[in-house]
Amino acid sequence: MLEPSLELYGETFEKVDALLKELLAKSHARYAMIIDLKGFVLMHSRAVWAPKPPSLDSFATLIASNYSANTAIAKLFGETGFQEMVQQGAEVGTYLEELGEEALLVTVFDSSAALGRVKLFTKNAAQAIKVLLETSQGEAPDVTFDQEWSESTGALLDTLFGNEKS
Amino acid sequence: MSTINFSAREINFKIVYYGPGLSGKTTNLKQIYSNVPGESKGEMVSLATEDERTLFFDFLPLDLGSVNGFKTRFHLYTVPGQVFYNSSRKLILRGVDGVVFIADSAPNRLRANAESLRSLRENLQEYNLSLDDVPLTIQINKRDMPDALPVEMIRQVLDPQQKYPVFEAVAQEFQGVFEPLRAVSKLVLEKLAQKA
Repeated sequence: MLEPSLELYGETFEKVDALLKELLAKSHARYAMIIDLKGFVLMHSRAVWAPKPPSLDSFATLIASNYSANTAIAKLFGETGFQEMVQQGAEVGTYLEELGEEALLVTVFDSSAALGRVKLFTKNAAQAIKVLLETSQGEAPDVTFDQEWSESTGALLDTLFGNEKS
Repeated sequence: MSTINFSAREINFKIVYYGPGLSGKTTNLKQIYSNVPGESKGEMVSLATEDERTLFFDFLPLDLGSVNGFKTRFHLYTVPGQVFYNSSRKLILRGVDGVVFIADSAPNRLRANAESLRSLRENLQEYNLSLDDVPLTIQINKRDMPDALPVEMIRQVLDPQQKYPVFEAVAQEFQGVFEPLRAVSKLVLEKLAQKA
């Protein structure tokens, strides 16, 4: 099976992208990202003044795993999950909001941003994104992954890992 | 379940290395990281204890390249092998597309191999998956041990119906490391193409 974690394409993508930029502008956060719970980055936005982010793959994987672990901890105590998902270091922090059951909105901020504003605007953005996703009317782009695609991709595997021994 | 990202024009797959403690799952990932060209790999993340046992997972992203305008990417994970980390193993299996099972050749680890495969079955069930749904290859590691059990004996325990591709390996020496990964990746790609 192949499907997007969220219906992020076409007009919906443009609108969500605008929401992420607005979130950064209003909260003065560094980065805003949408990741799925498998650890894949779905969308990301970076404030113009923000330094280069760390590896997004690593970051998304760690955030998704941490979220899953925290949810498991909450369940040990009979909770469905924790309501506040914020982490703060001396300089940098992260704040998470759920986007349905499959994805998260993650805001990364530093000491120049007030946590209260980060929370408020991240919650607002998450709400607006959820509404957009629920009302999305766009058709998913038509892509076919047929046998030819499988063979071409298999050839790339052989290039990377060497040919199979016959 | 493979994930497509239309905006980034990417298809993402998740491959999990599973197996008993100390069978060589992290060693496999380290060898892959060391032997894949720089442009095809991302950062490797290891969440390990002080004595280098996997605590949560190891993670390595690989970029295969583009076909038909879509970049194909594999995210490789290991699970912690020690028995008491089952909750972590379960979390890592979320969204898995393929599994490389790493078996230990040592005679005293035969039962651990079998129990690990049983735990894989049980944990997949949590996601309403069975081993028939998820492509699997088996790597029988540590073939250089003087008392290594015969491959057929290990296979008889893990795969009596001979359903899965089996590869012998000495992961520490980078022997037989790429083969099970390439095989499971191809199975994952073929499965997707069949469904399409």
